[in-house]
Amino acid sequence: MSLKNTTEQWGWLSKLFHWTTALVIFIQIPLGFYADSLKLSPFKLDIFVWHKSLGMLVLLLVIVRLLWRIKNTIPAAIPGTALEQLLAKLAQGAMYILMLALPLSGWLVSSAANFPVKLFWLIPLPAISGPDEALKSLASEVHEICVFALIIILVTHIGAALWHHLRLRDNALKRMWF
Amino acid sequence: MAIIQTGQNRLLALFAKLSIALAAALLWQPLLAADWQSESENSQLNFAASFQNLPIDGRFNQFSVKYTTDQAALPVNLQVMVSVASADMGNMEFNDEIQALDWFNVADHSTAIFTSQQFEIVSQNKADADYIAHGKLQLKGIEQAVAVPFSWRQINHNQVAMNGELSLNRSDFGIGQGEWATGEQIGLAVRVWFDVRMLSGND
Repeated sequence: MSLKNTTEQWGWLSKLFHWTTALVIFIQIPLGFYADSLKLSPFKLDIFVWHKSLGMLVLLLVIVRLLWRIKNTIPAAIPGTALEQLLAKLAQGAMYILMLALPLSGWLVSSAANFPVKLFWLIPLPAISGPDEALKSLASEVHEICVFALIIILVTHIGAALWHHLRLRDNALKRMWF
Repeated sequence: MAIIQTGQNRLLALFAKLSIALAAALLWQPLLAADWQSESENSQLNFAASFQNLPIDGRFNQFSVKYTTDQAALPVNLQVMVSVASADMGNMEFNDEIQALDWFNVADHSTAIFTSQQFEIVSQNKADADYIAHGKLQLKGIEQAVAVPFSWRQINHNQVAMNGELSLNRSDFGIGQGEWATGEQIGLAVRVWFDVRMLSGND
């Protein structure tokens, strides 16, 4: 298996990016809802440290992943109608945007809330805004809208992957698998 | 005509001299016993709690400082009154939370008071000086001996800048109880610093 992508297959680095991001996001979404539901307590603050740490990890992964993608071959589109291919492209683009917008809006909520954090209890995250109640509310709204949008797209994304694999029996899922 | 003019000039010169003398007297007059009062628009009382050893800055929006000096311009009395309910940590959720029983318990103890009648002179240069006020801080119904170091810098004859910084242990005052008491996340040490503009009552 090659490091780089080919026109047929995703390279192993792209696969690693895809599946690690997927894993972190699958932890991150329920963790965020859970943290939000908790009454203020030291435990809630710990859960938020995890949520913020993993969120910044996603941001880092996505940035590196995008750079890697730009410098790389993209496997050819899976055969399908023009509409299907357009939708696939839109969903992919939207996922990238959301994977950036979610951690960034979350970072903004944390900063505008005047809440400092050490990622993984090690790395202090600099504030990207001063304390600002209005900005905090706005960023929270954006964060929430983005997570619902991501959930919808992820369901579609997973559904489409399974559809390709189980019904169409093409290599859409296989070429992202190891 | 010439004589009158000379007379006028003399009068003007005398007037000028008197003005200078008066101005000098005003500028150089020794400070008398005076009562000083903080000017709220130009005064700040800040604190920094900590989370994971990172500071979370806050401030008290309402507080007042009263200060009395004797004829030698030395402090004899200091009283600081702080509306604990005015604590602002830049976040409405924090602000609501810290009013609660586990933290400031604002419902029962809305005001914190620091009083001192005992001042240690650290250094002095004319009207400017550095002091340590040894006094008592009453916070959340608990009284503790606290030493507040501060500088006293004259801006003009009736305005002074008063600055200082100290560290308090929140557990001394029962602030942050129950599951917050350990200080593992929210540190026990709270930095307090102030930049207060004092105005003299006697003008």
